[in-house]
Order: sequence, then structure tokens, then C-alpha cells
Amino acid sequence: MFADYLLLLFATEPRRAKAIYNVCRGRRTVSTLFAGLTYQQLAWLDSWHGVPLAKFEAAAQTLIAAGWLQAPTDGYLALTAAGQAQQAELQQRLYQPVAWQQFRQADVRRFTALSQLALQVVSEYSHQTKRYYPVTTDPGVQATVKRWFRQWRKPMIVTQVVTELHAFLATLAPTQATIFMNSVTGYDFPGQTDQQLATAFKRTPVEILVMRKDLSCQLVAWLRQQPTGPLAALVKPLVKANPVSTSAWQTYQAFQQTADLSQIATQRRLKLSTVREHLLETAILTPGFPFETILTPELLAPLTAVFGESASVATWRFEQVQSVAPTLDFFCFRLYQIMRCQRATA
Amino acid sequence: MQQREIYQLLKQKYGFDEFRPGQYEVIAALLTHQDVLAVLPTGTGKSLIYQFVGTVMPGLVVVVSPLISLMQDQVARLNYQGEKAVAALTSQVDFGTRQATLNHLAQVKFLFVSPEMLKQTAVLTALQTVKIALFVVDEAHCISTWGPDFRPDYLGLGQLKQQLGQPLTLMLTATATAQVRQDIVTQLQVPTAKQVVYSVNRPNIYLAVEQVSNEAAKRERLQQLVTTVATPAIVYFSSKKQTDLIAEWLRQTTGLRVAAYHAGLSAEDRFKIQQQFMTGQLDVICATSAFGMGINKADIRMVVHYHLPTTLADYVQEIGRAGRDGQQSLAMLLYAPGDEQLVRNLNELTAASTTQIQNDYQRFQHQQTPPDELAAVLQFYWEHQYSVAQVEALFTERQQQKQRELQQLLAYVQTTTCRRATLLAHFGEPKPSHTATCCQSAGSSLPLETLGLQAATKVEQTPITSWETLLDQLFLQKI
Ligand SMILES: [Zn+2]
Repeated sequence: MFADYLLLLFATEPRRAKAIYNVCRGRRTVSTLFAGLTYQQLAWLDSWHGVPLAKFEAAAQTLIAAGWLQAPTDGYLALTAAGQAQQAELQQRLYQPVAWQQFRQADVRRFTALSQLALQVVSEYSHQTKRYYPVTTDPGVQATVKRWFRQWRKPMIVTQVVTELHAFLATLAPTQATIFMNSVTGYDFPGQTDQQLATAFKRTPVEILVMRKDLSCQLVAWLRQQPTGPLAALVKPLVKANPVSTSAWQTYQAFQQTADLSQIATQRRLKLSTVREHLLETAILTPGFPFETILTPELLAPLTAVFGESASVATWRFEQVQSVAPTLDFFCFRLYQIMRCQRATA
Repeated sequence: MQQREIYQLLKQKYGFDEFRPGQYEVIAALLTHQDVLAVLPTGTGKSLIYQFVGTVMPGLVVVVSPLISLMQDQVARLNYQGEKAVAALTSQVDFGTRQATLNHLAQVKFLFVSPEMLKQTAVLTALQTVKIALFVVDEAHCISTWGPDFRPDYLGLGQLKQQLGQPLTLMLTATATAQVRQDIVTQLQVPTAKQVVYSVNRPNIYLAVEQVSNEAAKRERLQQLVTTVATPAIVYFSSKKQTDLIAEWLRQTTGLRVAAYHAGLSAEDRFKIQQQFMTGQLDVICATSAFGMGINKADIRMVVHYHLPTTLADYVQEIGRAGRDGQQSLAMLLYAPGDEQLVRNLNELTAASTTQIQNDYQRFQHQQTPPDELAAVLQFYWEHQYSVAQVEALFTERQQQKQRELQQLLAYVQTTTCRRATLLAHFGEPKPSHTATCCQSAGSSLPLETLGLQAATKVEQTPITSWETLLDQLFLQKI
């Protein structure tokens, strides 16, 4: 069940439920991203894109009803003792995705749609069939695959695609490879649904769904390493150049020239608050962000004095440092939190 | 265009020598610029009509269609038949793609669109810039059955058509009583449209109804039916949950290849199930009524209704998916006392009390956005200057109409005379002569042998194929 996977995202210390849902739904606000960072869940960013908030809320309700989650304060959820045991059991039993960080680095959903049609087109071509029902009627996907096929359509395309696929599938556990191929649509083979695969492999349909999303991520990761074949060509334009939005990236570029944020604001015609938001977003999503450019030793001193010994970043309160350094602003506090998270995991 | 040329084109483009019943008559009328309302039984190739006309006449063919899944099926089928310039505007297509379609309308030949999408300014404006060869309303009975209290944008189609410069119009449906036909031509403002009406009778479908005492007995009877009667079969349910549960139960207990199909599935899974069914890899599909509208499978031997359909017209349409190849087939309706309550519950979903209507009018006057589906329906009437009293009368009339339709359906279920005669009388058609392969009289057993519909040996559920084998099968390497 979907709720099983949701339970995996909670801990015994209370977590902001909506932030967790929004991480999964790919909402990239600073507060959502920050929650994802502190809960170490950025790999889940965008993994359940398009799933309505209501579905998460309903799933959480079933977990509360089962006695696995409790709501200590409004908006927060935490594992109960029984929930902790259940979570441990699920971690053993449920399929655990391994490559979901690709959701952040490439447009995996688009790739899934494109590759599905591309594999069908090549399969039908190899059997010399011209008439078949396309697996998707999305005109955008059809047009892209059509262009791709025209570009690669040489006698060798079938061999090339099979070589690529075979090499990728050989890196997987046999069950994974079998599930991957059985869900493919091709000549005289519509492919199996998640429900059918779930029955055959004694898993739940949601597990199969998670597995297939993960297989798409794994394929994307693999193709990025083997960039010469036709399938890799489908991935290439979908790899994100920057980990953050274009606008935030431009702010970051300017920041690398000058640490004067007001100057950046004037130059980019943005509000100072927006510049700060951009930098926080970048700091969360970019390894090696130069925190010390902003957090000078004078600013760091009170922060280290108050929080230096405490590792549970999510429990710090701004008021704690404000009482000893009244002029320090929230932006610096948040940036320091991000720095500590980044360096703790690094 | 001369008759000879029409037949030449049929041969040349579609490879047929003959039209199916009704096709020629409708095409010939359209080619002389006459609007047509065509009532042709399911499986008579209604889409060939607008495809054909689209080929002959310059300009865009706009097809108004009620369901996203149906539009996707239609686009896929046209793609399959080699029509490239086909597009659908649905809420499932992302904004950019929709915009791209609208910007390149001149390159599109067939455009599928829902009434809700059609009324959007961007869509209307784009359509006003191109020549419309033909305006098709598919499943046109929806105007009468869904318009008043479920999807009022169906009632706005007449006005939209006017804004598009009154293009040549084709209204298509598989079943329509005289009253429904009247509704259609009135709403679409084409009172002089030529009406081409073919009998809804499908003599090769044996009509059966069996009464069972309760739910458990019904399940058991269904299990017997799918194991003793020839397949492929469709079993219709009115709830998504039941569809899933019983599909799984049948799969486990009969060893048949069974799958569930309903609107809750992803587009990908819907595609896979449809294709598995089309290519003979499934014996039984358990489905909600959305399944089959776009399906073109000729050899379906049995259609079972596990729950009552909503109306006799729906029933005729749904059982019409059986036996398109002309071979003997079976329509079975399983009825347990109290089943009609499900239909009443469904009907009540679209009901509205006087207070609700009055309150919603207040809401509209305060310029608040509609909070729920009912309000969204009522919004249409307020925007079109209806009075509260008019809307009340309309909703009351619609509920009464649904009551009458349910009574007519129950009359069919409970009749002690010829079922086919009862059914045809509803559509104003003459009484046929009853034969041994016509219908099952109350309480008698199914003459499977006479019908030649005994189950064949079952195919084993397919085991999972290894990935290496599949790779070889799917990609024949012709180097
Ligand atoms: Zn009879």
C-alpha cells in the first residue's frame, strides 16, 4: 500500500507532515526543501509528482488509525513504538528504491514516457510492422520520439538498442530485469500491468510501481554513464544543467562574483528577500556551497556558541540565538542550519 | 461526388467493397452539406463516416467526445489506421502541448475535444481561425442524458457551434429514443437535420436475465457463467471496488485470464489491458461502463451485467459490444432483489433540492466560485440567465425522467413475455418474432448447446517470461 511507503518517511521525533508530502510532490519552496534536507529526504524530492495532497493525508490517517503514527502537535506526526516496529519490518520487507536521486537530476518522468514509446517503435520496426496502437497518444511524446527515430533509424538501430538494454539489464538482479522487460510494450506484447506483475511476483501493486520508477531512475543513471547509444540520446536533453531553478542559478552566479547581496538585488532587479531565498535554495541543493562567504567569523561566533554542541538541527529555534545576538537575522540562522546539515552528512 | 467515386475511395483508402449499414447514406448526405443525426448500432464503424468525409472535404474535423479514455482510444485507432494529423485536447495533455496543438491547428485534420474544453476561449478562438469541414458530436445522446444535471456544457454546444459559424454537423449515437433524438436536434439547433435511424436490434445476441437471491448467489452464478460459456467476455459493474475485487476472485478461483478495467487505472495500464484483450490474451474483463466505448473487438461472446445498467439505452449500447462479428453471442443480466437501489443512489448523486438550488443562486450572486460539482452544474444555468424556478423545474423533471427510465429497465428485467419485444418497444420498433435463439424466458435455463456457446478449453494463465527471452522476442534483430 502507498501508506506503507509513507510510514518509512517518519521518525520518532515529530516531523512536519505537510513538508514531507510536499518533498515527495516536488514542491520546491525553501521551507519544503529545508525540511527535506533536515529529514534527509531530498532523494524523495519529486518522487510522487502529481499525487494529490489529499491522498497523502488519507494515507496518514490510516497510519494513525493503525496506531503507527501519532500527532503530538498540530501539523506534526511521529512514529509510535508500534510504528517503529512496523517501520523496521517494512524496511526489511518492502522494496527500497536505490536511485531516486535521479528525480532531482533529470526529468525521469518524461524519460519514462519517451522510452516506453521509443522501445515500442523499435520493437515494431524490428518486426517490420507499420500498423500498431501507440502506447501513448500524447502528441508531444509522439513528436519527440518520431524525431529521435528518424535521426537514429539506420539498419543498426535495433542492435544498438538491444545492446544498450542488454548491458543495462545485466547490471540488475534477475527479478528486476524480468519485471522491467515484462512491463515493456512491444510487438505482439502489450506488457503487463502493475497489478499483474504484483500477482506474479507476490508483491503489492504499489511496490511494483516503486520498483518501476526506480528502474527508470537506474536506467537514466546508467545511460548518463554510457552516453553514446540511441537510448542515451533520449536522456541527454532531459538532464538538468543546474540543481536549482534557472533564476536561482543566475543569482548564485552573481553571488560567486560578489558577496554583497544588495548589489546582486539591484543588478538582477530582484527584492533582497528573493536573492536570499535563491541562495538558500542553492545552498540546500548544491554540494560545496561557500557558506563562509556570508557567514563571517563574527556571524558564526554566536551561532557556534549556542548550537555548536547540538546536532539535532530541526529542533533549534531562532529565538535562542537572537537572545545573545539581537542583530543576527533569520537568513544567517537558516544558512547556518543548512551548513550544519550538509557538513554532518558529508 | 458521385456514388461511383465514393465507392472507389472506399476501396482505395480503406480496402472495403461495401459500406456497413447506414454508412453510405450518412456520408452521401454530408457530402451534399446536409446535417445528419445518425443512430447506428454499436460496431457499424461510425468513425469511418467522419474519417471518410474528412478525407474528401478540406478543413478540420472537430469531434466532441465525452470521455478522455474514449478520446485516447479514438486517437490511437486513427493513428493505427495511418492518420497522422490527429490530436486530442484533454485535461491530461499538459498546457504546453495543448498550446502547441492550438498554434498548429492548420496542420491537424482530426481534433478530439470535450465540451468543457471546447468552450474555453483559447480553444474557440483558435478554432475560429481555421476552416471546419465537419463538426461531429460523438455519443450525442449525452446531450440529453448528461446535459441537464451532470455536464451542462453539453447544453452549450449549440451556442458554441454558432460561434464557430454553424459548420456542417454530424451527430452520432448507437441508441436513442424518439425523445432523445428530439433533444439532440433541438439543443444543437439543427431541427432540419436528416435523421438516419437504424434498428437497435442485434438478432445474434441472445437476451438473458437471471434472478438470484442475494450477492453470494450472484457471485457463484457469475463464476459458473465465465467457466461454462464461451469467452472472451466482459462483465460490467457499477462500482470500481467491486470490479477489482471480483476480477481478482475470479482469477484465483477459475484459473482464467481475468483483469479489471476502470477509470482508476493509469493510462498505461488501461492501454495494456485493452491491448491484452484485443489480442486474445485475456478471457474476461471486469469493467465499469467506461470500458468498451472505444474498443473494436469483433469476437466478444458474452456480456454480463453484474449490476443493473442505468437505462435501457445504456444497456443496449453495452451489450452491443458482443458479437460484432455476427456470430451468436449472449447478453446476461444478473439481478438480485434490491439491485435497483444502487441505480437510485447513482441518480440521487445528481439531484438537487429546492434549498440547495436557492442557496447556490445566492452563492452565484455573491460571485463566489462553485465549491462542488453540483454548484459547477448550476453555474451554467445562472450564467445563461435561468431563473431559480426554471432550474428547479428542470431538475425535478430530470429526476422523474430517471425514475421512469429505471421503471422501464425493471420492466425488461421482470417481463414474462419476449424480452426482445420489450426492448424494441422502448425504442418504438415493431415486435420481432420470438425464436429459440431470441431470449430467455423467466426461470428457464440457458440453452448453451442450441446457441453453440459452450466454453472452449481454457488457455493457461501465462507464466512470466525471462528478460532474455523477451528481449529476443520483442526485438527481432534483422541485421
Ligand atoms: Zn424473445
